[in-house]
Amino acid sequence: MARSAASARGGPRERDETRSEADDAPSDGTPGPPALAVENLTKRFGDGDDAVTAVDDVSLTVERGSVVGLLGPNGAGKTTLIKCALGIVIPDAGSVRVFGADVRDGRRAAYADVDAMLEGARNDYWRLTVRENLRYFATVSGVDPDSVAARHDRLLDRLDLTDKADTPVRDLSRGMKQKVSLASVLAGGAELVFLDEPTLGLDVESARTLRAELRRLAAEEGLTIVVSSHDMTTIEAVCDRVVMLSNGRIVADDTVEALLGAADRDVVRVASPDLDRETIAGLRERFEVVDVDAEAHPPGVSVVAGGDRLYDLTDALRAAGVTVSDVRTVQPDLEDVFLERTGSTPGGDSA
Amino acid sequence: MSGDAPSADAAAADASSADGSRAADATDAAAVEEGEPRPATYYHLARAVLYREFLIFVRYPANAIGGIVVSLFFFAALFLGGQLLAGQALTDSIEGIVVGYFLWTLSVGAYSSVSNDIGSEVQWGTLERHITTPFGFAPVALLKGVAKVVRTFLTSAVILAVMLVITGTRLSLAPVTVIAVAGLSITSVLGLGFAAGGVTVLYKRIGNWLNLLQFGFVALISAPVFDLPWTRVLPLAHGSAMLQRAMVDGIRLWEFPLADLALLVAVAVGYLFGGYLVFRAATRRARRLGVLGDY
Repeated sequence: MARSAASARGGPRERDETRSEADDAPSDGTPGPPALAVENLTKRFGDGDDAVTAVDDVSLTVERGSVVGLLGPNGAGKTTLIKCALGIVIPDAGSVRVFGADVRDGRRAAYADVDAMLEGARNDYWRLTVRENLRYFATVSGVDPDSVAARHDRLLDRLDLTDKADTPVRDLSRGMKQKVSLASVLAGGAELVFLDEPTLGLDVESARTLRAELRRLAAEEGLTIVVSSHDMTTIEAVCDRVVMLSNGRIVADDTVEALLGAADRDVVRVASPDLDRETIAGLRERFEVVDVDAEAHPPGVSVVAGGDRLYDLTDALRAAGVTVSDVRTVQPDLEDVFLERTGSTPGGDSA
Repeated sequence: MSGDAPSADAAAADASSADGSRAADATDAAAVEEGEPRPATYYHLARAVLYREFLIFVRYPANAIGGIVVSLFFFAALFLGGQLLAGQALTDSIEGIVVGYFLWTLSVGAYSSVSNDIGSEVQWGTLERHITTPFGFAPVALLKGVAKVVRTFLTSAVILAVMLVITGTRLSLAPVTVIAVAGLSITSVLGLGFAAGGVTVLYKRIGNWLNLLQFGFVALISAPVFDLPWTRVLPLAHGSAMLQRAMVDGIRLWEFPLADLALLVAVAVGYLFGGYLVFRAATRRARRLGVLGDY
């Protein structure tokens, strides 16, 4: 995608003087300001005892071209953080800069390069056709729609919407409507795109398709994407980096690999019909047992057993007269990481 | 344009020379293939907003036709019922009633379409996209208002034509005069629509009740501006009196005293600006409370 779709305009964006300090990358080749820079952002809702701190002193930088996931349960502050970044919610403290432009001081300048698909929003006009929506929202985003007609064709093609280009959105399936929402957000050439729960309400197949398309669009179009979700599959599949939020605070911020690597404690799951309560209690005395599934057939137990501890475990099992039916290593996922950091799951509700 | 602001070409050159990001690499390839995106001007924005209104108007004519039929039904009931009750007295004042009713349908159309439109945009999640536009919300909102007024003029013109046929009345229909006076008259109502829309953004339920305001327009249209001159500063009142003179007495736009025209413009601009300020204050409060776009 062309950065210039957002910046090379003689219209209202260029007229905003704040744009001059938030200029694009310098011509000497040094990188420009990050796509998103959030500093000490705080937002409280309500007063007195009922006050809820939705975002609590959050600082975050998103580099250009990266795909960052905001992971957290409902109420963790993901949507508020995104809305603050868009200026739709005014924070109590802190600042948000989009490509160097302060969202508070120069919102028009900031809006030149940013767009968002917010949770639960239709985001487009159902009585217009797919293509009409793309043209309309490209214009509202500050781009002459005729100049991006070819890009719209490409976008429709990539999202498998070409056949439906002239169909009113209301006549499309839910999955397709979601894709049209995404297309309309991308239609104006914003380089920074916020996607709030993009797969919410989609069936498994539609969600999988959308994830694949997001990944492809990010790679091919060079978009900077901030995806918020409580669905780890989406985050893990799409994002380079994960920011975990809990109760309005960042509890982890690293690459997916690093987070998973840090949580990888060589857990081994052993299944055997001989795993009775007494045997498991014996294992607990000598090993760190992280999970017991006594109801399974055969019962299973997950034990931290890296390196030489694996030999100790097999010795202990042999000594207890356990005939192993199945043994496998357990790879941690982001849910395990989140659980470890916060004590709750990202699919639940935050306190 | 700011003297410090980078030119469009310079910005494009800077963007394409920036390395270290996937964006720049992809940009170059895409730009060669598709050409540079050009910035949208206010012309493009106006075209897009008006075209969208046009599309919805022609694609879903039932709404417009329904509005016309309901308006005509009420007028027919008013006229025929009035004839039974008032006889010749009604016939003598029928021209005034037709003009007043025409202005009322225009006012209701402008007011409700703007306030309902804002409510619908909130519900659809499209309001934020019109607020987070680099154009700023004001020009977008104004153009949307103009689009609504144009649409309302078309439907009210049909209503007026049928009313003239039903009543056998003749009125002066000098287009420039009628459109200018009626247009400026309902501009004040457009301001009220924005204010109501703003309140709707903050307080969803109260917003629906504000729709009842449109019945108050009858009082404004028939305000006694000669006996109570101060009522001229109310929305519609002064414009209504001028429209009566234009359409019933055949006075042309340029034949009105300058003071009358100035007051007409001042009332229109004043209420429109005031309505926008209310809308802006309401949306700012909604942003502070975090309820903008909630429904």
